[in-house]
Amino acid sequence: MNRQQDDLKRRNIRLALLFGGFALLVFATSFPFWQNIFKVLGSATR
Amino acid sequence: MSYTTTVNDPAHHDHTPTGWRRWLLSTNHKDIGTLYLLFALAMLFMGGASAMLIRAELFQPGIQLLDPDLYNNLVTNHALLMIFGAVMPAAAGLANWMIPLMIGAPDMALPRMNNLSFWILPAAGTMLILSFVVPFFPGGGTQINTGWTLYPPLSVQVGMSMDFLIFAIHLLGISSVLASINIIVTLLNMRAPGMTIMKMPIFCWTWLVTAFLLILVVPVLAGGVTMLLFDRHFGTSFFDAAGGGDPVLFQHLFWFFGHPEVYVLLLPSIGVLSHVIPTFARKPLFGYKSMVGAMIAVGTIGMVVWAHHQYTIGMSLGAVTYFMVGTIIISIPVGLMIFNFIATMWRGAMTFETPMLFAVAIILMFTFGGLSGVMLAVVPADMQYHDSMFVVAHFHYVLMPGAVFGLFAGVFYWLPKWTGHMYDERLAKIFFWINVIGFNLTFFPQHFLGLAGMPRRIIDYNVMFTEFNAISSIGAMIFGFSHLLFLYIIIKTIRGGEPATSRVWEGAKGLEWEVASPPPFHTWESPPKIGKEVA
Repeated sequence: MNRQQDDLKRRNIRLALLFGGFALLVFATSFPFWQNIFKVLGSATR
Repeated sequence: MSYTTTVNDPAHHDHTPTGWRRWLLSTNHKDIGTLYLLFALAMLFMGGASAMLIRAELFQPGIQLLDPDLYNNLVTNHALLMIFGAVMPAAAGLANWMIPLMIGAPDMALPRMNNLSFWILPAAGTMLILSFVVPFFPGGGTQINTGWTLYPPLSVQVGMSMDFLIFAIHLLGISSVLASINIIVTLLNMRAPGMTIMKMPIFCWTWLVTAFLLILVVPVLAGGVTMLLFDRHFGTSFFDAAGGGDPVLFQHLFWFFGHPEVYVLLLPSIGVLSHVIPTFARKPLFGYKSMVGAMIAVGTIGMVVWAHHQYTIGMSLGAVTYFMVGTIIISIPVGLMIFNFIATMWRGAMTFETPMLFAVAIILMFTFGGLSGVMLAVVPADMQYHDSMFVVAHFHYVLMPGAVFGLFAGVFYWLPKWTGHMYDERLAKIFFWINVIGFNLTFFPQHFLGLAGMPRRIIDYNVMFTEFNAISSIGAMIFGFSHLLFLYIIIKTIRGGEPATSRVWEGAKGLEWEVASPPPFHTWESPPKIGKEVA
């Protein structure tokens, strides 16, 4: 594999990780999921 | 849009793996594309069988074959199998096969991830089918009678089959997001030198927009069903009003995914049409840039109008007005696409091979479905039509022509390229006519049923609806069984037939037609150089 292909492979993986991270961010933030988790945890400790 | 190439495929070192390893461990975009298409075909028949059972039950008023829970389980299963099992994987199959060939790339950007994206699907499909089957076993709990929307509180009360379904949705979501990431990276990083993004074939553009939509909305569905899982098993009350939650929140989360999903299903087929129509009209596509703009507009506006599915929950006047106006605005870019297709055909030297027949049928019937969509977008009218058979007729007129017929057009258009054989044109035309007549016979009467007040998702109906239901059920049987002919044509083409040339169709333009039919196992190992634009 030559340097150019290595470089392309690296760029592909970098971009894929970027979009993967973005998808996870959407998963975690687009709804009041964590807020409610904390609410539940809060009421459970009372 | 098409291009000349100055360097063709060298097609050397064409070593093809054999046996089960070729398929299980495949990193080849063509093989994975074939796997996707075969999976989709299997799911199409399963989803179709469930639809035919539904229509068999509705042939007469009263309860004949099924019980109400099984009926609604079939409704749920039919939708999920068709959307997640058939249409999305089939579109992904076309993408896998064609995108690298169209942009002059040797493969997808991340071939191993491509393998993973596919092989998650059979596991997800198994979970989906188990969610249907489990209630039939002792201790299997109640059936999923919620419909594909899975609204709580009903979905919280359903038995363990719902857990299988939630797991299936998570797996399907992971598969879709991984495939979308792969497609975006391939389109952004792997194009042949000289192919700027505004020279990319429209099919690639439709998939770029689709992949972005999937990455934006699938995680929200995953979040919604995760919360549902928590409500079911971990004592949370996200959707339980008694515990301070709100079931309407799930509806918002679901439709934030569900409405863009319609465009996820439609856009790849619009991409197919953008190649089929110029080929058989022997003219370049009219308005390439406006097509790109229109599909970006459809994707963008489509993401912010989800609540038109929920007018009847009681939103503020300002909210329903916004969602109504936004929804109607979508008809502008969609209308622009239809206008471009008609302008492409205008004064073209048209011939009507099977892909073109499907294309013309799509333009007529999809437009019809779009018009009933405008009716449903109007709030006071929707209050009457909501949850009636009119809605069933509307979305089948949008999704069958808009998505499935587009995929049929794509299969017939590219089948000679994939197999190296021409399909039987006479049989394909017979399939087209039976299919289209059967489809219209099934769904056209449902408009009248809905307008007269027949509700959807209910096993029984008033005797006043008998005649139209009988016609619809007869149409469904014709429509359903016609797909056996489709299967036969595909098998016949794979097994033999008149050899296909590399260009296959006289008017075909683009890099995919520069390689042999069938293409060698490895293509574009040396990237083609894009010459001056021909289109």
